[in-house]
Amino acid sequence: MGCCLAFDLTILTPHIPFLLKGAVLTAEACVLALAGSLCIGMIVAALVTSASPVLSRIAYVYVDIFRSIPFIVQLFFFFYGLPEIGIYVGAFTTGVIALSIAGGAFTSDVIRSGILSIDVGILEAAEVSGLSKPVIFRKIVMPIVLRTSVRPLGSVFINLILTSSILSTITLNELTGSAKIVASDTFRPFEIYVILLVAYASLTYLVSLGIGALHRYLNRDLMTAGVA
Amino acid sequence: MRYTAFTSYDIVLLAQGLGVSLALFLATTIIGLFIGSVWAVIRFYRVPVLTQLVTALAELLKNSPVLVQLFLVFFGLPAFAKFNVTPVEAAVITLSGNTAAFVFVIAVSAIESIGRDQIEAARVFGLSRWQILRRIIAPQAMAFAIGPLTGLLVNQLQVTSLISVIGVVDLTKMGNILNLRTLKPFIVWAIVGALYYVMAKLIAFAGAVLEKRLRAHTAWKGL
Repeated sequence: MGCCLAFDLTILTPHIPFLLKGAVLTAEACVLALAGSLCIGMIVAALVTSASPVLSRIAYVYVDIFRSIPFIVQLFFFFYGLPEIGIYVGAFTTGVIALSIAGGAFTSDVIRSGILSIDVGILEAAEVSGLSKPVIFRKIVMPIVLRTSVRPLGSVFINLILTSSILSTITLNELTGSAKIVASDTFRPFEIYVILLVAYASLTYLVSLGIGALHRYLNRDLMTAGVA
Repeated sequence: MRYTAFTSYDIVLLAQGLGVSLALFLATTIIGLFIGSVWAVIRFYRVPVLTQLVTALAELLKNSPVLVQLFLVFFGLPAFAKFNVTPVEAAVITLSGNTAAFVFVIAVSAIESIGRDQIEAARVFGLSRWQILRRIIAPQAMAFAIGPLTGLLVNQLQVTSLISVIGVVDLTKMGNILNLRTLKPFIVWAIVGALYYVMAKLIAFAGAVLEKRLRAHTAWKGL
């Protein structure tokens, strides 16, 4: 006895480099997936808010499906499905693709509500000035939306970080995957998962602090005017 | 001998998995709603120490992956405290705790959405703190919270799919079993996904109906 209720963290010290390697992989996947989901989100939001009913219907169906189906099911769909149609891309790429597609659905929702909250007068002024639709979208709509929706986009990103732990189920040894290996190597699952829990929580906390700062920086002119 | 074709028995398998997923979803929703509301009441009464503890716990549960929470309960607790946890027990503990954390946040903001003037008026009439909570705040907060709660439950249904990782034979696990046997990932995962989709739509529909009923008193009845 005596061993059972001991909470001993020193046993994990030799495994820290291995865990850090996993954390780096998590960071890489999250940053790539963030870029991917922003691209998809912008395109889909443009389609949802477009004047064409067919395009907006298709985009809506995409968002609806990928928001209503568990991520792990989507991940398995791609992980087992892509090789079936002859595409061999590996676990990391599959994970980033799946995260981008799922994240894109949530991102597009945030961007869509950002677009809808733009003052119509601005868009009418742009139209009257003779700007083409793509130009209005790129030069007028997106700068406003990306600036005002930093916070909701940030919470989508935080969700992305938490969701990335599911990538460990497709043999990808990111942070959670590496922790699983360390847990079975050391027979210390309690310590390692407590550390992991705290690590994820502090990571997402830091990210949310960063997002708050970014939001304040990007909207500094609105703040001084007392509007935001 | 290997049966790679789909059989009619597979429908039974999927139905079984669906039942397990739904049962765990319902059970953890009820437990989570209860615990989350209790936490919100603790905060409402501003119980010293407990309030801070509950707020910190909710933050920790909200900001960490459910998968890690599952591993902590399923692999960590038995190793640490020497009591055995079955996959289903671990799933119920984790998902209830996770739901409770989000319910707590929704309940707190719902309670805060009630104007201070109402509470002050009630206090002037001599209502006790419990009476205020029960008669003034709860009915209005319920109507306020039902929208976010529906969104939460649709999300929590998807979270239940994670318990397949620790060996609960739910819908996702059934999908995995069928996938490995038939080697037809597109069909299997599309069917599993469709079943989750239908369940999510049903939850959203039920939430909308309930919201309409709870908001009926504020709706304009016409001339």
